[in-house]
Amino acid sequence: MKISPSVLSQYIDIPEDHRELRELLDDVGIEVKRIEESEAGIAFNLELLANRGDHACYEGVAREISGRTGASVRLPSVPHIPLCAPADFPVEVLVESALCLHYSATLMERVSDGVPFPKEVLAPLLATGVHAISAPVDATNLSNLEFGQPTHAFDADTLVGAVRVRLSSAGEQAWPLFQEGKITLPEGTLVIADDEKILAIAGVIGCEESKTTASTTRLLVESATFDPISVRKTSRALNLHTDSSARFERGANPALATVGAARVVGLLEQYAGWRRVSDTLLVGEWADPGRLIPLEIPVAASFLEYPLTAEEVATRLTRYGFRVSPPGPRWDADDGWIASPEVLDRSRDRNRTTVLVRVPPGRLWDVEFPDDLYEELAKSIGYNNTPSDLPQVDMGKLPSREEQVRDRVEDVLLGMGFYEVFTNGFYGRETRERLGFDERHPLWEHVEVQNAIDRGYSLLKNNALGQAVEALAANTRWRQEEVRMYEWTRTFHLDEGAPNGVCRERKLLWALASGPAHSPSWRDKGGSADPWLMRGLVEEIAAELRLPLAVVPGRRPHPLSSALHPNRQAAVVLGDKVVGLLGEVHPTVVAANRIKRARPVYLELDLPPLLTEGRALPFADPPELHPINRSLAFTLPQGVYAGDVAALLKGAGPSWLTEVAITDLFEHQEDGQPRRAVTFALTYANDEVRTSDEVNSASDYLVKVVEQRFGEAGVRQRA
Amino acid sequence: MSRPDVDAILEAFQAELSSADSPAALEELARKHTGKKSPLKLALKGLKDVPADERPLVAQAVHAAQERIEVALDQTRRRVEQAALTAALDAEWADLSMPGVAPRRGARHPLTVVENQCLDVLRRLGFELVDGPEVEEPYYNFDALNIPEHHPARDMQDTFWVNGGRLLRSHTTTVQARVLSGHPKLPIRIASAGRVYRNEAVDATHLAMFHQLEGLWIDEGITFAHLKGILAFIVRSLYGADRKIRFKPKFYPYTEPSVGVDLSCAVCGGAGCSACHGAGWVTILGAGMIHPKVFMEFGYDPNKVSGIAFGLGTTRMAAQWAGVHRVKSLYEQDLRVMHTLSRGAR
Repeated sequence: MKISPSVLSQYIDIPEDHRELRELLDDVGIEVKRIEESEAGIAFNLELLANRGDHACYEGVAREISGRTGASVRLPSVPHIPLCAPADFPVEVLVESALCLHYSATLMERVSDGVPFPKEVLAPLLATGVHAISAPVDATNLSNLEFGQPTHAFDADTLVGAVRVRLSSAGEQAWPLFQEGKITLPEGTLVIADDEKILAIAGVIGCEESKTTASTTRLLVESATFDPISVRKTSRALNLHTDSSARFERGANPALATVGAARVVGLLEQYAGWRRVSDTLLVGEWADPGRLIPLEIPVAASFLEYPLTAEEVATRLTRYGFRVSPPGPRWDADDGWIASPEVLDRSRDRNRTTVLVRVPPGRLWDVEFPDDLYEELAKSIGYNNTPSDLPQVDMGKLPSREEQVRDRVEDVLLGMGFYEVFTNGFYGRETRERLGFDERHPLWEHVEVQNAIDRGYSLLKNNALGQAVEALAANTRWRQEEVRMYEWTRTFHLDEGAPNGVCRERKLLWALASGPAHSPSWRDKGGSADPWLMRGLVEEIAAELRLPLAVVPGRRPHPLSSALHPNRQAAVVLGDKVVGLLGEVHPTVVAANRIKRARPVYLELDLPPLLTEGRALPFADPPELHPINRSLAFTLPQGVYAGDVAALLKGAGPSWLTEVAITDLFEHQEDGQPRRAVTFALTYANDEVRTSDEVNSASDYLVKVVEQRFGEAGVRQRA
Repeated sequence: MSRPDVDAILEAFQAELSSADSPAALEELARKHTGKKSPLKLALKGLKDVPADERPLVAQAVHAAQERIEVALDQTRRRVEQAALTAALDAEWADLSMPGVAPRRGARHPLTVVENQCLDVLRRLGFELVDGPEVEEPYYNFDALNIPEHHPARDMQDTFWVNGGRLLRSHTTTVQARVLSGHPKLPIRIASAGRVYRNEAVDATHLAMFHQLEGLWIDEGITFAHLKGILAFIVRSLYGADRKIRFKPKFYPYTEPSVGVDLSCAVCGGAGCSACHGAGWVTILGAGMIHPKVFMEFGYDPNKVSGIAFGLGTTRMAAQWAGVHRVKSLYEQDLRVMHTLSRGAR
């Protein structure tokens, strides 16, 4: 909404300086988004609170300022129009739905050629960029802008039969203003209709077939109050958003119906050559409930930690339009304060420190509890003028186990040059396609977004690999060849047995690397990110968390296994449970993402297993005597894991064989077949005096064991 | 035997010393002039043949010559070694203008950095981080938080609805609702952080997914003054004690009164600039006193307990902290952006 400071100054005294005025408006909760300057002058662009429809007019803004500054509000003059009985009104008007709270109608006729409103009268419209259209339309727009009461003027000569406020029937059509033709209304839409057509969609917009034109000579001025929910539903369903609907959606003031009509009538009579030819008919069942809220002054004072008296409370709340009783206990009809037993009960202690506050009709939508009144008092005092206090705090808290684990794992990742990224919680169907899943795949089914406005939001992700590879593809397009990234995320898995009846949420860590294994430099090119980089990452995480995470080569049951290279993947195991996987992304997945010349590797770990308490590492003093080292080299064909050979060596060796490490690899061809020469470094403890013969004998024995176990597979000692 | 010619020995030594220009030559010279068969050692052995009356003087002269030789050798040795060392070091000149080769660390995302900073501050006040689901029941996202049926936030274009009538949480306040539904003992001091979703078209400033961090403090006797005090503590801890803050009325369905907290604009210092649309202030968080309806929904008596809730838009904070104008870039996994944020522009 836009307002003009010069127009606002006609309603209430305000600072002349625009910056001061802006501060004041911000201070009372009417936020100024920006100050705009145009030929029409300075306009303040306001952002209004969602529950305060009454702010959407000059009277409302002035009232809010008055509450803060105490300045008086000056309102435009409104003629008094008597109410008439239905039988005395020339047109039959019927309200047939409780969704219309109040409906007023007043008839006018043109007595002379119309003249435009004077510029000073139109100033509120012009200052906010609204152009003059015709006297009847301008008058209704002015009334709304001044008082916040939407009104509408029908060409009375287009009306046929009775005017009814009713719900639309199935398939019923209306032709809203500014639309190219008729539209079908949802059944049950609140409309104003005569015997032949729909005149207006209640609270939203008028219709073409009853609109005023230059030749209109008789008007029916409508001023009504409609149910906020009804107007909001209609506005959303028809995608028609108007000043009127915005006002009614936030709760209009039922007491303003006749005021709005009178202002329109007054403007047209005074300036535009129109004459009222009826009194105002007011129909509808709404009656002011006279809501009373008991307010305990000491409680309010304690809430705000601000000294308050009953007199001050009355003064401040009255500025906002509330009525405040004297302090109890004499609340009775003689005082004009009749409280229901419920209210009296809520007042608890009817002593001299409790007052009753009567809520004005325009605030019935948002003022219900004492806390709502505390807010009014705080605004009146000024949010920045009430005290500030820090409550007693016993002791701070430490990070949770999950926070600590994530932090420690991140330290490992950062040390290896990985960058944290964030991906969306959803993706489009094409992401699933690029992973090569079909309907039989365990990750084919997704939790689906029912109303996504973008195809990219269709599926809640049930894996992180798709987006990880897409992120690589994007970085490849940006010429980033060195890619190491990770994310803590969660995936969603259909599960009717889950607490929400729809899906489980799985927290996990993923990491993806492509290009150099570490930052290239002038000294070396950084190697290549390959599955062993990810294996090393797992080993470092295991060491950091002191968890016995193991990497088991080969395919294990894991939903993402099919998306990784079949011969370059491994499961990550904790105990007997698979807690993740690692490996090279399958070439078809890479190609589907239009990535060339990259062989990305991927790691995924479930988060909950990482929260397992790590084991304590037993400490042993370093040996006094240097250990004895020996090396064994074996030729291994494809399919035989060096890790299995190492494990066999360690298991078959004497108790004083303390470590078996793989220290070298030489790949070559033998008889046209690929072969690997792998060197195993054996470390023997030297706690006792051992002879070279004993050590050599142990190593010779191990060679025999290996050849016995793996000989048929083609493993043999390398000379 | 005649007396040894010490002067001649010294003269010969000096002549050889002057040409000894390497540690090896010097050691050879030392062996020759201080070893067992050196002229002076032989002279000492021959003292017995020197007449007794001359022997003391001759011995004294030989010893003096020995000392001179050793001193000369030491001095020369140090000089030669220093020269050799200097030459060796000169030969090892290294171009340290070349870039370092230590493994380069990665970096946490600015969102995580900001979230950690917030949580560090909140932990000092006794807050604990609590997690909650992202696929949520409408009750926890709306009804329990006094967002009634007619509230615009429930409109289809704002909320992602998924299978089974569930939704993607549109705010982390759902975690607060879940905590309250468990009726924990007072005081309650929890924080929740994470992804939230809005069904909006994505542009430079609007995202369908972003991050929030919220706090909830419930106890007996929590006042509006406490709300202001806590918020001021948080903001000043995060942004510095010298930044100005102000409170302003706002509306949130689950708090009453509701408060917005503005921070003086870091760009203009409060004078007004394009970054703050001339206001001199930027809004950084929303907060308020827990609404009585929320308390009643979970069986608490609002006359006995009170509390505060506050929410920080960590995505926007991260963008401000990192100086990123296009918030969307924080979610694009663009490593060029991450490099720039952690190491500066390349």
